[in-house]
Amino acid sequence: MSAPVEVVLSADSAGQLFNCAVFDPHSGSEFLSYRGGNTSSRSLTVLNGEYILGAQLGKNFINVWEIQRKDQLQQKIVCPGIVTCLCASPDGLYVLAGIAEAIYLWEMSTGNLLAILSRHYQDVSCIRFTDDSSHFVSGGKDNLALIWNLSSVVQLDSSRTPEPCHILSRHSLPITDIHCGLMGPQARVATASLDQTVKVWEVSSGEMLLSVLFDVGIMSVTFDPCEYFLFCGGSDGNIFQVSLCSTSLSRDKTFQTDSDGNQVFKGHRNLVTCLSVSMDGTLLLSGSNDETVRMWDVQSKQCIWSINHKGHVTNAVIIPAPANMFLADSHPAVPLPRFSRHLNPSEQGDGTGSGGMCLRLGASTQVTSETSLKVLERCDDKCGSVLCQSVFGDGENTKVRVSELEEEVKTLKKINKDLYEFSTQLLTKPN
Amino acid sequence: MKTKKQKRQGDFQKIQLKVGKKKPKADNATNVNFRSKAIHLPEQLKHADSGPTTHRQLDIKDLLSKLHHINSNIKQGALVGLRELLSAQPTLIELHASAVLSEVAALFTDKDGSVRAAAVRLLRFIAQCISAERVAPFFPLLSAHLTCAMTHISEAIQEDALRVLDVLLEHYPGLLSQRHTVLLTNFLELISQKRKAGTGQDKSGKGGFALTISTNRSVTAQQWRLTVLLRLGSFLQAVVEERPLEEGVTSMIGLGMWAGEKGSVTSVDVSWEEHVFGKGRIQVFENSGAVPTPHSTYRLRPDSKAVAGMNKELCSAETVQGFAGTLVPLMLEIWVEAAGGDRVQTDSGHLLSAEAMALMFQILTILQLLRRLTPQRDQQDILDAWFRNSYLTDFKHHFMKNFPYGLLEVARHRKKADGKRIRQQQVATGTVAGGNVEPLALNVTLCQVMVTLSLRGQDHVEAEDADWLGTIRVFIRETLSNGGKLSSKHLAALLEVVWRMIVTQRSRVVTDDLLQAVYVQYQQRNLAVSVRTLLLHFFSQLYIQEHQNHPHIARSRILARWLASLPVQLVQLCSRNPQLSAQLLETIHPAAARGNKDLLQSLQKNACSIYDPQEGSVVVLPVESQKRLVQILHFLPTFPAELLACLSQVCNTGRVSASLATMLIRTIHLRSPLSGWSSSSQDVPVKDVDYLSFFFTTLTGFSSEMLQALQDTDEDGLMPSSTLSPLSVFTTTLEQFLHHWDVVEEVCHCLDTLGSRAQCFDVIQNAIIKNLCGLVVVPDCVCAAILRCVPRLLDVNFLPSDTLLHFLSDCCLSMLSLLLQLEQSARKRDAVWEACFAAMSTVPRLLRLVLQSLHVGDLCEEELPVLAQILSLLLQHTQLRNHMMANASLLQHIIQDLTHFYGGETREQWLTDLLYCYSVTLSGHRANMGMRDIY
Repeated sequence: MSAPVEVVLSADSAGQLFNCAVFDPHSGSEFLSYRGGNTSSRSLTVLNGEYILGAQLGKNFINVWEIQRKDQLQQKIVCPGIVTCLCASPDGLYVLAGIAEAIYLWEMSTGNLLAILSRHYQDVSCIRFTDDSSHFVSGGKDNLALIWNLSSVVQLDSSRTPEPCHILSRHSLPITDIHCGLMGPQARVATASLDQTVKVWEVSSGEMLLSVLFDVGIMSVTFDPCEYFLFCGGSDGNIFQVSLCSTSLSRDKTFQTDSDGNQVFKGHRNLVTCLSVSMDGTLLLSGSNDETVRMWDVQSKQCIWSINHKGHVTNAVIIPAPANMFLADSHPAVPLPRFSRHLNPSEQGDGTGSGGMCLRLGASTQVTSETSLKVLERCDDKCGSVLCQSVFGDGENTKVRVSELEEEVKTLKKINKDLYEFSTQLLTKPN
Repeated sequence: MKTKKQKRQGDFQKIQLKVGKKKPKADNATNVNFRSKAIHLPEQLKHADSGPTTHRQLDIKDLLSKLHHINSNIKQGALVGLRELLSAQPTLIELHASAVLSEVAALFTDKDGSVRAAAVRLLRFIAQCISAERVAPFFPLLSAHLTCAMTHISEAIQEDALRVLDVLLEHYPGLLSQRHTVLLTNFLELISQKRKAGTGQDKSGKGGFALTISTNRSVTAQQWRLTVLLRLGSFLQAVVEERPLEEGVTSMIGLGMWAGEKGSVTSVDVSWEEHVFGKGRIQVFENSGAVPTPHSTYRLRPDSKAVAGMNKELCSAETVQGFAGTLVPLMLEIWVEAAGGDRVQTDSGHLLSAEAMALMFQILTILQLLRRLTPQRDQQDILDAWFRNSYLTDFKHHFMKNFPYGLLEVARHRKKADGKRIRQQQVATGTVAGGNVEPLALNVTLCQVMVTLSLRGQDHVEAEDADWLGTIRVFIRETLSNGGKLSSKHLAALLEVVWRMIVTQRSRVVTDDLLQAVYVQYQQRNLAVSVRTLLLHFFSQLYIQEHQNHPHIARSRILARWLASLPVQLVQLCSRNPQLSAQLLETIHPAAARGNKDLLQSLQKNACSIYDPQEGSVVVLPVESQKRLVQILHFLPTFPAELLACLSQVCNTGRVSASLATMLIRTIHLRSPLSGWSSSSQDVPVKDVDYLSFFFTTLTGFSSEMLQALQDTDEDGLMPSSTLSPLSVFTTTLEQFLHHWDVVEEVCHCLDTLGSRAQCFDVIQNAIIKNLCGLVVVPDCVCAAILRCVPRLLDVNFLPSDTLLHFLSDCCLSMLSLLLQLEQSARKRDAVWEACFAAMSTVPRLLRLVLQSLHVGDLCEEELPVLAQILSLLLQHTQLRNHMMANASLLQHIIQDLTHFYGGETREQWLTDLLYCYSVTLSGHRANMGMRDIY
């Protein structure tokens, strides 16, 4: 059997059969299951394709499995409080956990606790990264959603507490779910709330783009990858599909079932707590408090399969299948470090144990050059000029130019290598 | 020959002129003895048919031509005539606007005062009639003449130019503010003159101006300066207000003052909407994906370059600095003259004459306006810093020396002989300054100006500023807490100062000190609504915006006390002022969402009064506030039983809409641990017992007392019990029924999603048996609700008790007969039918019970048709068909009885219908054998 491209990962609150399990998105057959404990809502995450992290329901630790060793709990990370939500950055470098009102940020390479962000007034209910790990969005029961810039949070600057770059405060009841679209800092983010609305925001400006009012509280929300549709899981068990390319003129839409894409998936009998769309946008996965996970065909809105769980479904997500998952004898490339529980590693006493060294950007030496806009612009120019040359330039000229450029690349590579060697020398010098 | 010679002599006789003799008159001398008189034609004789004319029969062409007349009386007459003509025929203004305006403008610089006055009067009249857009093409001309007049060598003309300016400011502030480059220098030149380059005195840099003093004006130099500064102030005001509004910056005087403190997050999205939706199709996402919104603050690195394109608009810090650099020294000079020239003694230096006070007030107003000229926040900061660097010492020295200024009681010090002069002076000042200035206004404005100079949160600067900020603080505290009532304008200014000081000084002592003073003001009774709103707004903004950034504000006791008092105020306010209540809620909601302990405690304490079903805020306020109140419920720490009782009644009394009631029910549901949503929190907001009793009470819609009371009444709405309707049904109004129906729907849904259905149903069954089964009189909505919820909640494996089923069958029968007997609306009928059928099809035993209870023998003649109708309805229902089939023998028996007992000769329609239905239903199954038995 060839390894599947995508898999479904789901967990429930009872944890009788398994803590979390991996299913085939097309047939619903179970591939693997990971045992031990259970996982609280919105706190199951895959780190770097090598580990599965899940926060224990009602307890103050995080269960960790190596993704190929399904039966054995690798580690329990003990946290300062009950973990309400958990998220690993897509690049596998950082882990965020919402613990009561605060957000804890760990660095995966060292296990250091880099920051404790306490800008929420009540429990954090959901944290999501953008796909390029540059920003993250946190939503809480205090009706606020905050957009943070990761680099500004990580900055080593003790005098200044990190500030969110945007505060989204238009919801009037607790935020239940957040979904970040693609495209990094230019992504759109959708927030669902008990106030019966789903709002779509722009990450870069914090502007609200769209607000859809439903007649039930919304417990979960997701986009398809093209952002043609917004899927909203209601507290009455319906899943609403809002078409984002309709031609309605008003900003505040009231949800109504009509023929042009605003349609309802009916089947669940209780709160729809998790939603996820497959890579190609044809399959929709939903998990509900009625203890089932259902897979839907987006086009026809039919339920393809459903799996019964033993408790409320707390997490259900379609993820690209990690490479290690089906190779029983593989090993994670990076061992999981001990997670520190204190902000300052020196206070811990055994800070010298790892022998590692922590590199963090100071505030003044932030090495970022241009605004993303300008980079885009320049790329665009480049593309344009390259296109011009390849279309209009004569062959001879192009060849000369190519060889010149190759030369250039070579020199640059050499310089880069020298620089690397120099700096490693400097860093690894004894004393 | 001789004769000839003589003759010649005779022709040319020489007249001897002698000294002392009178010179004879020459023959050809003109006799000037006649007297002439001018023919004066004030009016034309002809009745011109060419157009409208004045009462002197002059048409507009004549009048315009007379404006060029050399005689000033004629010019004035023509101006008066024009005014008369134009007021009689307003259409003429539009037609001749260009000619009239250009001619009138030319007269701004006329030598004669009366002509100028008439010209101004005419201009004022015209300005009232023509809108700004229509004047815009002529405005360059007007302003050129205005400039000409303002810079005129004659001082009288300069004075009158200010009157023209007044008119234009009043009617065309927008147009005028575009001309600021020229006008601002004109203003300067009105009160000063350029220093000569060689004098070497001008330390203030380029273009050093010196105040001019001219002796031959009709007013004193001070008064003249006051008039000029007044105009300058209103001109700057126009510039500030007429600027196209920028995002996130409000230039409202009163309440917008805190908007500037908001920081970088602006959530205004109006212009974005315009950008996108202006192009027709919605393409929200496509556009914003390719091009980030213009308000995107996302930068990898902040722009270090200054704003490109130093436009000559007056909004960059540099231009304002340039102008202020010349103006401020002048104003300081004026201040010194006003302060020192008036009183020499140092002990009463704070007492000022009314005139000086007006002058000072004007100076401070202009300083304030100068700061507001820059719309962008960063520019404003630059400007503040510049002011601080350049003028702080001067300001401190001059302004703060005698700081709390008071009004000098002039009349007491002067002699009686002077009295008349003073009165004259006051009249003059009054007309010029437009009213006297209160000392409070002066002091408050001074505070405002000075406080903007204080810098944020740097410790060394703080100490530096401590002395003068301390004085200001004392003044503010005393003004606010001395119990006097302040007008909303002064209060707004004071609050702005308080805000700024709290934010900049970052000290808890200062914060509490100032807030205490504001709170004293807030606690006064009988405040005007505007003042109350202002104070409320101040506190709520302070809490919402600055709370997080400034721990010293967050820890303030006063703020906590204020928050805790909000729910009480809400209760007290009731429905008297919905706007104020809405504003209170606007603060309570976020504070509750943030879990503010003080507020939540107080809210918990007052919850029962707020959510009282009779006169609580939740029922008396408008819909928006009701919605907020329901949302606030979400954050309440616990729901005691009394509160739930209140809420249950709120849901059912119909004073909140059905959608809001469902929202309320959902909130309670979500807060309960039974719903499985609220995660691991240890404390339980809604106890399970309370939860279930809340839902049951809401389901029935009537409290036990009400039901009990209903048993004893004998109202008209009551249907007596009979064999066909075992319960006597109390019909509720349609409105109440439908409202309750919606509520029941939601209750069923919530109960449906509870974990264990069997247990849940058991509880509900017990509750029904205990509370409802013994009743004789039952409201119809209760029947419908029970019939609706039982089939929805019933678990397949659970056997409902007989008591319940008997009660249900009674309900069912009663409702069916009720529907058939009374005229009901379609919606109600559908709802009840649906409920009955659903109940009977889910619980087959119920159907059997219903059929069993139909004793045809006990019925009277009139009831037979009703019974037949019920039966045919049951037969027609497809879902029931199988169950009817199962009870075929019972059914057959009933129908036989029915035909038997019906003694009528003719077969009625209803019987035919019934028999037809019966045959159709059973035909497939039993091949008509039943029919044969009947006949």
